[in-house]
Amino acid sequence: MTDEIDQALDKKYEAGFVTDIESDTFEPGLNESVIRRLSKLKNDPEWLLEWRLSAYNTWLKMEMPDWANLGIDEIDYQAISYYSAPKSMKDKPQSLDEVDPELIRTYEKLGIPLHEQERLAGVAVDIVFDSVSVVTTFRDKLAEAGVIFCPISEAIEKYPDMVKKYLGSVVPRGDNFFSALNSAMFTDGSFVYIPKGVKCPMELSTYFRINELNTGQFERTLIIADEGSELSYLEGCTAPQRDENQLHAAVVELVALDDSKIKYSTVQNWYPGDENGKGGIYNFVTKRGIAHTNSRISWTQVETGSAVTWKYPSCILKGDNSVGEFYSVALTRGCQQADTGTKMIHLGKNTRSTIIAKGISAGRSNNAYRGLVKMGPKAENARNFTECDSLLIGDKCGAHTYPYIESRNPTAIVEHEATTSKVSDEQMFLCQQRGLDPEKAVSMIVNGFCKEVFKELPMEFAVEAGKLLEISLEGSVG
Amino acid sequence: MVNMLSIKNLHAGIEEKNILKGLDLTINPGEVHAIMGPNGAGKSTLGYVLSGRDGYEVTEGEATLNGQDLLDMEIEERAVAGLFLAFQYPVEIPGVSNMVFMKESVNAARIARGQEEYTAGEFLKLAKEACKQVQLPLDFLKRGVNEGFSGGEKKRNEIMQMILLQPSICFLDETDSGLDVDALKTVADGVNSQRSPERSFVVVTHYQRLLDYIKPDFVHILADGKIIKSGDASLALKIENEGYGFLGLNYVEEKA
Amino acid sequence: MSQWLEDVIAHAEQPASNELAATWLAEQRNSSLKKLKEQKWPTRRTEAWANTSLVSVESRNAKPTPANITSWDKPAIPGLDSIDIYFVGGQLKTDLSTFTLPEGLSIYTLQDEKAEAVAASRFAQIKPERHIFGLINDAIANSGVVIDVAENAIIDTPIRLIHLANDGVENHSRVLVNVAKHAKVTIIEHGVGEEDSVNTSMSEFDVADNATLYHYRFALFTQKALHVGGCHFQVGASSYINSTIVAFGSDLSKLNIDVNYTGEHSNVDINAMYLLAEGEAFDLQSTIEHAVPNGTSNEKVHGIIGDRARANFGGRIHIHRDAQKTLAQLNNRNLLLSRRALINTKPELEIYADDVRCAHGATIAEIDDESLYYLLTRGIPRSQALIMLNFGFIQELINDIEIDPIRAWLTDMLSTRFKSMEVS
Repeated sequence: MTDEIDQALDKKYEAGFVTDIESDTFEPGLNESVIRRLSKLKNDPEWLLEWRLSAYNTWLKMEMPDWANLGIDEIDYQAISYYSAPKSMKDKPQSLDEVDPELIRTYEKLGIPLHEQERLAGVAVDIVFDSVSVVTTFRDKLAEAGVIFCPISEAIEKYPDMVKKYLGSVVPRGDNFFSALNSAMFTDGSFVYIPKGVKCPMELSTYFRINELNTGQFERTLIIADEGSELSYLEGCTAPQRDENQLHAAVVELVALDDSKIKYSTVQNWYPGDENGKGGIYNFVTKRGIAHTNSRISWTQVETGSAVTWKYPSCILKGDNSVGEFYSVALTRGCQQADTGTKMIHLGKNTRSTIIAKGISAGRSNNAYRGLVKMGPKAENARNFTECDSLLIGDKCGAHTYPYIESRNPTAIVEHEATTSKVSDEQMFLCQQRGLDPEKAVSMIVNGFCKEVFKELPMEFAVEAGKLLEISLEGSVG
Repeated sequence: MVNMLSIKNLHAGIEEKNILKGLDLTINPGEVHAIMGPNGAGKSTLGYVLSGRDGYEVTEGEATLNGQDLLDMEIEERAVAGLFLAFQYPVEIPGVSNMVFMKESVNAARIARGQEEYTAGEFLKLAKEACKQVQLPLDFLKRGVNEGFSGGEKKRNEIMQMILLQPSICFLDETDSGLDVDALKTVADGVNSQRSPERSFVVVTHYQRLLDYIKPDFVHILADGKIIKSGDASLALKIENEGYGFLGLNYVEEKA
Repeated sequence: MSQWLEDVIAHAEQPASNELAATWLAEQRNSSLKKLKEQKWPTRRTEAWANTSLVSVESRNAKPTPANITSWDKPAIPGLDSIDIYFVGGQLKTDLSTFTLPEGLSIYTLQDEKAEAVAASRFAQIKPERHIFGLINDAIANSGVVIDVAENAIIDTPIRLIHLANDGVENHSRVLVNVAKHAKVTIIEHGVGEEDSVNTSMSEFDVADNATLYHYRFALFTQKALHVGGCHFQVGASSYINSTIVAFGSDLSKLNIDVNYTGEHSNVDINAMYLLAEGEAFDLQSTIEHAVPNGTSNEKVHGIIGDRARANFGGRIHIHRDAQKTLAQLNNRNLLLSRRALINTKPELEIYADDVRCAHGATIAEIDDESLYYLLTRGIPRSQALIMLNFGFIQELINDIEIDPIRAWLTDMLSTRFKSMEVS
């Protein structure tokens, strides 16, 4: 039975092609003059240059953390190029017609048509290719509702007060090693502002692609939901198949003002490396939201890619009655390593949080949930419920659960449960007896295991996530 | 004569939802009153409001027990004053032994009445008798309160507490639900053994069946938060045979 | 490094102070001392010590030389018939030669030549090396007993090892228990005291195939009685271990429990409870190593934390690659009684085998409203009801204890302690 499962799990990474496009790429290396050069290229205002330099100085004093359950080679931060942009971006295209056709074809291959008539119905997309945003769709329609959705480099120019007020307000520059690095060198990313009382008329989406060799991607996303507003935001990622490890160190900041709702969904499918662990993306991301009174932040993630993932989308539940949610599916196979989870920091009264984390380990991979639930002294009647379930496929992988729980309030209730299980021979037998091939059977069982999380995804994404899981599982059964 | 329990124009509810909407009920010593009615009529709510459960708010009206204002008292003060609520779904309290629990309850009432507390020995004797009376094995005294008890055992445990506490008014909330005939008879025998000219009962039930064993003096129909009809035992029989339709109610009763 | 540790190392290096230097233990001691010198003194950044401060030990001068105390209290467990062995002032005070022991049971001092056959291959071999206080104890323990239970011997009388905290004294005593095949024994480790002192008592248990061990550790150290101890179990095939831990807290009190399965089809139950008042701190760290298939473990840890007290719990279950068909469960439940109390809990699963069933849970709760309502409707005063409910949570574990006098003694002692704690 196990052999059949084994055979069923081996499939190529479908987004692994390279786009042949001329690029302006910085020489590898990081120092103050690289930052100044980037800053000049991006037309940064003076305050932002200072901000970057101060982050850089902080970063220099920090050490790369080693506490996560990861085995990785030391990263040479001087061997990475910190900026790469398609040449055609120099004179920024004013419309889609001016975008390099090669680039458009890249996204068509990935299933993301950029032409207005073909785009994903009802989803506005911002496309980030290596270090720059190449196109943002549906901007006019969004503008009618007062919604701002644009590359962050544009927001810095057009809405400097807002950016200055909120940038680094949720994830401070010196928060951790990678947030400091990102703050010094972020190249582009998305900016969203939803005005008071507005329910964003469509899903917003950013699609990230790393193309250039030896390039890091350091994007920065800032989302502000003003009082009483609502937003659903999607994020997708891919990269070509290369033998070298590439670094992705993003920062995402969410600000949910009073009575607002932010739903942030990610399907992360960076190149995971080959079956022997060669190549793949190092995905070190800091994502955090601050929830003010009566607001709600939901993180949903489907993590199937990257050689190494180190990611803890978190909520600071500052306002009374605020709600934080984290729904996660992390699938690892081959030699992938994932260490992911969340932090729920309960500060306000009656704050609520829910954590549902599903880990699936196959091959020789290691998959860990690491989370923190903290009840502050003023978190009267706060509640947390956490459920972490692991599914092991084969006997060479690992599944781990490291919850940290701290409470300082006697009226707060915290519940944590974790279980582990396998795809049993009985389940497989039943499915096969009913005529399903082993691959389909595993995929069905795994999909069932993940159902609680998939139902939190927006419709288009849920289908995509299911398919992605199926593809990722091919060849990893065993 | 002072009524034992007197409820006048009682309006109450939970979380701004009105459930009782002007309920009147008078009960004299020694009487047995049955309350029947469709689901959601407010039968259990009445028990919770009378006993003072948190979250239930009285917006209008009054309720007195032996002339004392019931609604002004704490939950435990009402119990000590003689109100006993037998729960429909008694909660399990692991680790707290049934024996310790009942001894503390009985002694709380005795202290309030200015009586000597029972010693452990004295109480054990009483508890064993009560335990036998409701036909529970004696090791149920040592087990945690309702911990791992079956539905029927929980109900018998409620009646055992009633026997030991000697309350003046007993509110039995669907004590018959989920019981087979033998258990039903045991429970009814326990209740009947406690009938006396000083003690009154309110029996909430869906079914005539229980009333075959515990003969009521009065039967009331509770619907939409009010008593809409009162009568003698024959009213219960009529409902058993005809449903609530003749009262102009369109409720469909679920079958047991 | 701390002054205290420097003193300890200096002491360990003095041949004159080491009564055991020439015996079977000497080699092990030197090896542990070497490792101790290589270890970094833990700080708050050391994960195992992140929530427990060592300041109260660091800031004192070590006194590893035993004090000769001639009279002491004898903490009784009423109605319990046990073989009592006292450690007072860091010295073994009971003359073992006066005992008439049941057949199959032998008890030796560490210095006894006869101990070597049993202990040489086991001493410091069951306890993992990562515990720095374990290495300290290896290097300087000079009082201790080796308990040997022969094959097939069923020892009905419990053996009680009593550790008293005496003012200004350190107790680095050591226990090694060998339970041979098909044997059964009950060991009670009973530590108590509040005076300014340090205790690092470590015990190691080798439970052979088909053997049974009932174990109790009462770490009733409070106030200035500092304690960092360990209980380490090696589990043979088809054996059974039942361990009950009861702890109060002091300025520093920490207990490490390690269970390592070497044989299949064994079963280990651990019930631990802590009841912390005032400014007490207690830290319990357990690690269950399922290294072989078909093992079962069930760990329940219940704690009540009142006033300004701080509890820290870490429970790790590690299922090794080969440990298929393991069943492992761990549950930690906590009740905070005050706004100044603190609980940190970290149950961990680390799983490398796919055909296993593991679950852990941790809850931090307030009192269940429905249960409270039920008690109030029976006329029980609110303050009394709160005590009954909270204590029910501990009583659940006490009720599992096999020995009647211990159950009665603990019920009485813990409920008295609980009543003195403020319920807000």
